[in-house]
Amino acid sequence: MDLDLGRLGGTARPRLPFLQRLGTQRVVRFLFATAAGISTLIIVLMLVFLAIYALPAIRFNGIGILTQSVWNIGDQYGSGHVVRSGITAMQGAQFGGLVFVFGTVVTAFVAMIFAVPLSLLVAVALVYRVPTRLRPLVNAIVELMAGVPSVVYGLWGIVVLVPFIGQRVGPWTTAHLGFLPFLGGPAGSGNGLLASSILLSLMAMPFMVATVRDVILAQEKSIFEASMALGSTSWQAVTKAVMPSVVNGIFAAVLVALGRALGETMAVLMVCGGAVGIFAQNIFQSVNTIAAVIVSQLESALTDPTGLAQRSLSELALLLFVITLFVNIIARVILHGADRSGEA
Amino acid sequence: MRKFSLAAIALILVSACSGSSGTKLLETGSSLVYPLMNGWVAAYQKTHPTIQITTQSTGSGTGIAQAVSGVAQIGASDAYMSDGQLVQGKMLNIPLAISAQQINYNIPGLNTSHLNLSGPVLAGIYSGTIKMWDDAQIKALNAALAAKLPHETIIPVHRTDGSGDTFIFSQYLAFSTPSWKNGPGFGTSISWPPVPTAVGANGNPGMVQTCQNTKYSIAYIGVSFLNQTNSAGLGFAALQNRAGAFVLPTDATISAAANIMSAKTPADERISLIFAPGANSYPIVNYEYAIVNPKQANAQVASDLTTFLNWAIDPTGGNSATYLNPVHFIALPAAIVAKSRAQIASIKA
Repeated sequence: MDLDLGRLGGTARPRLPFLQRLGTQRVVRFLFATAAGISTLIIVLMLVFLAIYALPAIRFNGIGILTQSVWNIGDQYGSGHVVRSGITAMQGAQFGGLVFVFGTVVTAFVAMIFAVPLSLLVAVALVYRVPTRLRPLVNAIVELMAGVPSVVYGLWGIVVLVPFIGQRVGPWTTAHLGFLPFLGGPAGSGNGLLASSILLSLMAMPFMVATVRDVILAQEKSIFEASMALGSTSWQAVTKAVMPSVVNGIFAAVLVALGRALGETMAVLMVCGGAVGIFAQNIFQSVNTIAAVIVSQLESALTDPTGLAQRSLSELALLLFVITLFVNIIARVILHGADRSGEA
Repeated sequence: MRKFSLAAIALILVSACSGSSGTKLLETGSSLVYPLMNGWVAAYQKTHPTIQITTQSTGSGTGIAQAVSGVAQIGASDAYMSDGQLVQGKMLNIPLAISAQQINYNIPGLNTSHLNLSGPVLAGIYSGTIKMWDDAQIKALNAALAAKLPHETIIPVHRTDGSGDTFIFSQYLAFSTPSWKNGPGFGTSISWPPVPTAVGANGNPGMVQTCQNTKYSIAYIGVSFLNQTNSAGLGFAALQNRAGAFVLPTDATISAAANIMSAKTPADERISLIFAPGANSYPIVNYEYAIVNPKQANAQVASDLTTFLNWAIDPTGGNSATYLNPVHFIALPAAIVAKSRAQIASIKA
């Protein structure tokens, strides 16, 4: 991301006179174009492979994968089969993914509710309030957060967060704030929507902070200074002058972070409570996401002799792929627009 | 740098040479069998240095899949293969040892007493029809503890990953409760009834952790995790068997079930030991299987595999207390050892 082309070309030149003769610019451009082409090709091939592999499941499940909430690979030890659209599955098989689509969207959405305000404050503070000498330190901490493997967040979630929610936050909230929507009802075990969303927001924050920080920096500094010169307080300058000018960039940053939250697997798997066949009624109940269910169900899917369970998991993967791709494309389009308005 | 790479090349050459002189066997599958297999392999390789056995804990489904595809010579599984799975190709299902499952709970004040639970009551808890610990149906089974049962919501914990433990637990519910048999049924991964308080956990360690962290929860956990459930301070239940008696999982009750079922075990040894008859039989007992292809790559592999498996099931070898006690498994009854030997003898190149 922070690749400096000028520096790369600069160090390559004296060492490789051959490249110089050929024209370093052209070679580098060719290399980068090839790399970009290959990565695009890989994405397309993955999509094609997933679609081909999932095709029998797509025919068997039809629209049911999006509308039904029962996921049942069928009777593994029975002898009966069920045939639909020419595709054979085990007796009783039903592959409804609605619970997982719901969990994926809701955990990511709630995570954004936590992460967006916090990230905006951190980004604004980084640009305007943190003393110049401390900036590298805070930047390093934010980047470190992005570098922490998700399984580490998950482990912290299991050991610290889940017991804390299950034994303190849940019982207190349901008892005192239970009249509010999504806060009443059983307090559960701590595994569930709230724990998943908190972990997701921690993981999404560094991306959002970095993007918002860069978008603000890309704007002319004079907006802030002009606003201050007109007599506004620094809070007014940020909220009334700077923020409106970078709103597109912020929106794109949210979408990039959302894309990450939608596909996050390991940490969510560890704290989501693995809901099957049921939708969470409050923020403390178990949920399940597409990514988590693919991991947790793959092992039993292998025992399906018709192979349809594996193919249905691939269909879920395809669904997740399309959702995240869609979110990322929108983010890129908006971000591109924001960059250009910044240049103008 | 150069010194390091020379050393690395030398190491690779040495290991390649030493590897080529012996047979390499791969065991993969059930995480319950894994600690036992590690104990076996460590001891076995001291007396058989030319046979190199690698063990992996990947899960029963993977064990079966990789034994069928030929990647692994031994696929360890908590569940026997279904007729449907065997259509893909003939595979041997060889019992290696006997395991059992405990029903654990975390009820403050009651974890040192043993609750009496039955299949229908557990099915009610996991279906959401029995919601509170002081439910009349639970009280009816526990007259002595009835006054101590708290008015608290039960949190049923189940495995989210495909698991042999889910297989044997759901079999106990299906064999003892008609409504469960016709509803969720049994399998390594089942469609759990929607219970608002239900929680899924990953693997047996996750089950122990969740049950320990969650007051008023109930969970099903393999007996090889007995040390962990004890140190977590969890209670475990006496379960109602087919004869109507409530029995705790002990060596005596697990053996009682295995002995009664050994006469009923067919030649291909694919049978459930769950809900066995007999007044003293513990109801959730199962064979831990080695899934083996009867046709191996070459005569040397077939012979080395045969020797190892025969040692593993031998009461003076792998089935001795030295190896079984640490994981709380029970030795195979003599009749089953004989049936397993007959199956092992059919492994050819």
